Amino acid sequence: MNFLFLDKMNSKSIYKVPDGKLLKIFLEYNEKNKSIDSIRITGDFFAYPEEAIEIIEKQLVDNKIDRNNLTKKINSIIKENNIEFIGLNSEGLTQGIMMCLK
Amino acid sequence: MSEQWRLLKTEDNTAFTNMAIDKAVLVSHSEIKVPPTVRFYTWKPSAISIGYFQSLKEEVDLEMCRKHGVDYVRRITGGGAVFHEHELTYSIVISEDYPQIPKNIMDSYGRICGAIIKGLKELNIDSKYVPINDIIAGNRKISGNAQTRKLGTVLQHGTIIMDVDVEKMFSVLKVPNEKIKDKLISDVKQRVTSIRRILDKNISFNDVAVAMKKGFEKEFNVELVDGELTEEEINLTEKFERECFASENWNFKR
Repeated sequence: MNFLFLDKMNSKSIYKVPDGKLLKIFLEYNEKNKSIDSIRITGDFFAYPEEAIEIIEKQLVDNKIDRNNLTKKINSIIKENNIEFIGLNSEGLTQGIMMCLK
Repeated sequence: MSEQWRLLKTEDNTAFTNMAIDKAVLVSHSEIKVPPTVRFYTWKPSAISIGYFQSLKEEVDLEMCRKHGVDYVRRITGGGAVFHEHELTYSIVISEDYPQIPKNIMDSYGRICGAIIKGLKELNIDSKYVPINDIIAGNRKISGNAQTRKLGTVLQHGTIIMDVDVEKMFSVLKVPNEKIKDKLISDVKQRVTSIRRILDKNISFNDVAVAMKKGFEKEFNVELVDGELTEEEINLTEKFERECFASENWNFKR
C-alpha cells in the first residue's frame, strides 16, 4: 500500500456560469492540505489568447482551495497575462473549483 | 469601386482539412500575402468540431461517431461542440487593424454576425444576433459562431444550419441538461432550427452561398471575388493537418 497517495482526491464539477458558459473542471487535490495537485479547466467558453488557459492551470497548482485566495490568484494571473474571458470570469472559475471539494 | 476581398468555396473536405485551411489562410493573411478572405465550406464525412477548451471525451460519443462514420476535430477557437452535417460553414479572416472590425471582441462578433443576418435576409429569413455567439431565427438557434485572434488577425467561423437530423446530432454529441437549465427550455432538441424548417423547402449549398456572399458584401461594403487557395496556403494546410488537426495529440489534448 502506498500511504503517500491516501490524501489524493479526484473530483469533477459542472457549473453554468451566470450569463456565461458551461464550465467543467477536473481537479486532483490534496484532501489534507486542501490544495490543488492538478487542474484541467474545460468548457465552451472563450479565452483570449486561448493558450493562456494552460498558464492558469499551471499557476493554480499548489494553491489552497479557498474562495478568496483562488479569486485573488486567478485575477492576478489574468492581469499579468492580459487574458480576456468571454462567458467565464474569475468568480465563475473559483466557484467551479470550490464545487470540486467533496 | 468597392474594395475586393477573396471568396473561397471549398466543398466536401474532411474536418481536419477544413480546420487546417482556416489556419493556413489566417497565417497567410497575417503575412499580407492574401486579401481579407471569406470562405464557404462543407464537411465530408459529417463531423463534430469541439471548442479549443473542451474535453473531447466529455462532449463527444466516440463510439456513436464510429458507428455513424462521423469525424471529430478540435478547433483553434473556443466555444462549444458542433455537429456539422447539412450546413454551410463560413469563415472570415481579416486583420485586427481593419477599420470595420471593432477592436472589442464582443462588438466584432456582432459585426461579423451582421453579415450572416443580412445573408439570411436574402433568403427571406429574419434573424438576430444573441450574445455571446449565436444567431437565432424564431427563437431557435440557426447559427453558432466562434472567433479567435492570432498574429494580429481575426478568424471567425460559424455554421448556418440548412437542415438538421436532431436525433443523429444528439446521438453523437453529449449534451448535459445543465446547459439550458436557465433557459427554461425543457428539451434540448427545441433549441435548434434550420433553413429548411423555416422555409419548408430544400435549399442547396449554392443558394445559401449566393445569399451569404451578398450578406458579407452588404455588411462590409466590399465585393467578394471568387479565388483559390495559393500554393503556399495549400502547403500550409497539409502541414497543419498532418502536425495538428489530424493528430490524436491535438484532438485528445484536453
